[in-house]
Amino acid sequence: MLKKIIAAAIAAAAAISLSGCATDVALPEESPTVVEKTSIVVYAGRSESLVQPIIDQFTEDTGITVEVRYAGSAELAAQLLEEGENSPADVFFAQDAGALGSIAKAGLMTTLPDEILGLVPAGYSAADGKWVGVSGRVRVLVYNPEKVAAVPSSVFDLAGPEWQGRIGIAPTNASFQAFVTAMRILHGEDKTLEWLQAMKTNAVIYPKNSAILEAVETKTVDAGLINHYYWFARGREVGFENLTSKLGQFQANDVGNLINAAGVGIVTDSSAARSFVEYLLGKTGQQYFVDETSEYPLITGVEAGVDLTPLDQIPAPEIDLSDLDTLEETLQLIREAGLI
Amino acid sequence: MATLNLRGVKKSFGDFEVLSGVDLLVEDKELVAVLGASGSGKSTLLRLIAGFEKPTAGTIELAEKEISSVTKVLVPEKRNIGIVPQDAALFPHLSVSQNIGFGLAGWSSKDKVARVAELLEIVELTEFADARPEKLSGGQAQRVALARALAPRPAIVLMDEPFSALDAELRTRLRLDVKAILKKEGATAILVTHDQEEALSLADRVAVLRNGQIVQVGSPTEIYNSPVDIGIATFLGDSVLIDGEVKNGKVLTLLGALNPLNKVTEGQVGRVAIRGENFYLLPNPKGEGEVVGQVFFGHDAVVEVVTRGVKIRARSNGPFAPEVGMKVSVWVRGSVNFYPG
Amino acid sequence: MRKPPVVIAVLGVSAALLAVLPIGYLVLRLFEGLDRALAELLRFRTLELLSNTGLLVLAVSVSALLLGFSQAWLTTRSNVRFAPVFAVLAALPLAIPSYVMALGYMSLFPNFSGFFASWLVLTLATSPYVFLGVTAALVRIDTATEEVARTLGLGRLQVLVGITWPQVRPAATASVLLVALYVLSEFGAIALLRFDTFTRAIYNAYQGSFDRTSAAALAFVLLLITLLVIWFERRYRGLYLANTKALGKRVRVDLGSWSWTATIGLTLLAVISVGIPMFSLLVWTVQGSASLDLPMLLDALWGSVRLAGLSGLIIGVFATAIALWAVRYRTRLGALIETASWATHALPAVVVGLALVFFGANITPWIYQTTWLLVIAYLILFLPNALAAISTPIAQVSKDLEDVSQSLGVPANRTLFKVVLPIAFPGIIAGVALVALTVLKELPATLLLRPTETNTLATRLWGATEDLAYSQAAPYALLLVIIAGLPALALNSQARKALSEVRG
Repeated sequence: MLKKIIAAAIAAAAAISLSGCATDVALPEESPTVVEKTSIVVYAGRSESLVQPIIDQFTEDTGITVEVRYAGSAELAAQLLEEGENSPADVFFAQDAGALGSIAKAGLMTTLPDEILGLVPAGYSAADGKWVGVSGRVRVLVYNPEKVAAVPSSVFDLAGPEWQGRIGIAPTNASFQAFVTAMRILHGEDKTLEWLQAMKTNAVIYPKNSAILEAVETKTVDAGLINHYYWFARGREVGFENLTSKLGQFQANDVGNLINAAGVGIVTDSSAARSFVEYLLGKTGQQYFVDETSEYPLITGVEAGVDLTPLDQIPAPEIDLSDLDTLEETLQLIREAGLI
Repeated sequence: MATLNLRGVKKSFGDFEVLSGVDLLVEDKELVAVLGASGSGKSTLLRLIAGFEKPTAGTIELAEKEISSVTKVLVPEKRNIGIVPQDAALFPHLSVSQNIGFGLAGWSSKDKVARVAELLEIVELTEFADARPEKLSGGQAQRVALARALAPRPAIVLMDEPFSALDAELRTRLRLDVKAILKKEGATAILVTHDQEEALSLADRVAVLRNGQIVQVGSPTEIYNSPVDIGIATFLGDSVLIDGEVKNGKVLTLLGALNPLNKVTEGQVGRVAIRGENFYLLPNPKGEGEVVGQVFFGHDAVVEVVTRGVKIRARSNGPFAPEVGMKVSVWVRGSVNFYPG
Repeated sequence: MRKPPVVIAVLGVSAALLAVLPIGYLVLRLFEGLDRALAELLRFRTLELLSNTGLLVLAVSVSALLLGFSQAWLTTRSNVRFAPVFAVLAALPLAIPSYVMALGYMSLFPNFSGFFASWLVLTLATSPYVFLGVTAALVRIDTATEEVARTLGLGRLQVLVGITWPQVRPAATASVLLVALYVLSEFGAIALLRFDTFTRAIYNAYQGSFDRTSAAALAFVLLLITLLVIWFERRYRGLYLANTKALGKRVRVDLGSWSWTATIGLTLLAVISVGIPMFSLLVWTVQGSASLDLPMLLDALWGSVRLAGLSGLIIGVFATAIALWAVRYRTRLGALIETASWATHALPAVVVGLALVFFGANITPWIYQTTWLLVIAYLILFLPNALAAISTPIAQVSKDLEDVSQSLGVPANRTLFKVVLPIAFPGIIAGVALVALTVLKELPATLLLRPTETNTLATRLWGATEDLAYSQAAPYALLLVIIAGLPALALNSQARKALSEVRG
């Protein structure tokens, strides 16, 4: 009698779990042909609160269900490398070009069709056509004007002793890592390592950009290196006049002003995956990035938010995003400095 | 038709030999008590008979079929031998009826119900049919345990000191109940105990187990009155040992010339065992004995007397209650057992 | 003489294999990239991690010992007022997962992070272990020896140090080693408080490096350290598990003028370890109640409950099989299996998670990122807990009952199902419940292995706290304490026993 109860309980439990399992059984496949699918798996190196709405909108508009795995872009890149051919991912939606480039370099992404690549300006997609930018972002210094009299002219000034314990960074964040890659390319390995080691002494480490902004707002830390849109999104939500912090840029062409792009690459080709990419580059998707996340649109016909400085007026350094694909070396340098 | 036959059964655990050659024959329908002190190997003997241990030598036969030997042991579930452990060991998750019916798995529903009802009546616990074991008293639990063992009509029922966990009054009553139940069922049973009163009062035959061997088997009267050696004599009943020499067919001792129960040869030197009830005390101010102690039980008393340099314990009943300090004459009545050497 | 049924043997062996294989694969990966692993390990950074970890373990061990011992002695051996109440309060932090406690403090004090923060939070989280262990020992001491010492001129403090302490020392040592193990494996709180120990470094390496050999290398070092501590712990454990009842009437030491100080001290401790964090979480929950994302909360709740229920059942089945094998059959292989299950008890969750990620992605991709792989992680991590809880009721079924059953015609193996299991069932269910609750609170392995779209209360809490979004995180934290922490404490038999004996 008792055995029957136990058996029934186990059967029930198995049924419950399998119902949840049905959708997350990994499909080991790497088919070169375009397959008809009604469901895709997206590895998203972006914040869930920022991008889930547009993904939901995509499902509503196209009927294609999306399973999203959220994590850091570098972590997802490493995971894609680890999984290799066994990866369940269809699309890699990364926060930064660096992560995309490194996966492309490993040969894990398919070449995108020209129609898609042509939607964005040159320089905002991979030179080899393996990934395409979806929204633009600028590196900024967010600071508390009560504690920071003037924005330092260069990001390298943050290495000075007067900045000890006053600057927040997020070394596990893809945007920071892309910025360090840019620093390596423009200024060389040694200078970069020096700066990173200074950060080890000076900086307060946070896991995410949003945490840095929160910290500056609550006056826990004096300043931080983040992406612009966090500040704008918050300002739009609570009112810019209610913000403690301010945004600052470094001098012209300083690597601290890096313009980057969040982008996507297709890991397992299918029409559904392509639909996803096209959707993000369509009017609805691009307008979403303008209105909801305060990022810069990349296609023609959609204007950036009026409160944002136009992209061509940002004093950014001269760098090709496609060159940022040496993420692995950047990570090693960051680790060598002891920041991770 | 169930005869249990143990031949030369030995059992060792490692280097320690617990049973060193047990021979025992149990006849159909009889109740045999295996009497032995703690550590004499009683429980091991039961476990061997039940099939939970394998003998290191010898064989066990049931109804002339070999069930245990050094090479092969028939599994317990196939032996049809019931056990009643020391503490009843009722299945706590089953009711009284379910306990009793546990061994009736192959029976038809009708037969099973009838048999359980029959047993409940025999042990006089019909109104407890659906009760849980924890609601039963010690005596009631033991009766259920017995009913459970008897239900499948086993060839033999083994009882391991079944009354030792109960208090004295309950024990005596339950003993008689159990004997009646066994007789009613026509069951063959082996009762293992260290309590000699229990063995003597219940059994048809008593087997005395000492140091891993059966040293005497016989009816209770035989065992009590004619213990084959001093060890058994002192084990059963309260005996006093006194030196003596055989002369003219009697044994000469400090306490007089006594009649021997067993056969003796002229000139033998040895000891006699005199039981407390063999003594006869008379108050006598010029008596050679002096009362030095007394334990009063109400219906009788055990009186310690020092007489002629020997301290004896006498049972005294009736109205005469000797007090400490009194002088008495000491007589031995009846015959006594003489043990040479 | 008796062999266990095939079902039990299969379950037992597969449990042991499950434990050993992924770790073996981790070591294999390490040796494949040995040069890079060594380069990683021979950095200054590793030294820094070693000293951080070592310092934290040492500091927490000492403070947890002091705190736990004081609480134990005051509640069981002194005449402090409200002793039973303080005893309950001393055990209460066990109901609060360490990362929830960290969250409670972080949300109250802005810059709460680093070494001292970690020291505080972990001390508060682990001193209950010392409290329980020392209490169990204190109630078994014969107080007559202390009274004799007093008549011979020793003061209260001298008696405490010279007579009481030596008798309690084995139990105290065992508890402290348990604390050390806990600190070594601790991930959630330390990561939130941003203090760099091995576990945090492993997780960050996993997140932030391509070739995960570095993560594997760090994991391996942590594994070695943990095994060392476990080896020490096992040597002391026997002394501390004895089950004798309290001796006679226990006399309580009169605190005299120290009475108020003690009461205040104990109250302060309770406030710090339970009052402050819970208050903070309550305030934040209320603050964030307007913007509460209820569907997300419910989804996380369902995720937690589903995983916990499933894992509890599966782990329960395995543990019952192994306990039956080891306890009722007593074969050598059974004992070996039981020991193997305990060995994995040493592994920090982060290491197990990492090993399974490697294993799943490379060797068994069909269960990679599925619930099943996560359940396997829980099995490896919590089988020892289940075994401890389930072995006792199974061992307590009297052997006589098995013998009687056999004599009545039921073969030995069927007897297991007809007699032993039904009787032990309530105890087994309690054990299963306890394991399920432990799974509910788990963080690091879940973070590493969860299937896409699966979220638990713990992972959501983690995500929100990373964003420093305390009002979002607080409701999850509160829920965890209420549905997992408190029931688990109620089911904790060691705690129940200690608390009941304090009243004596």
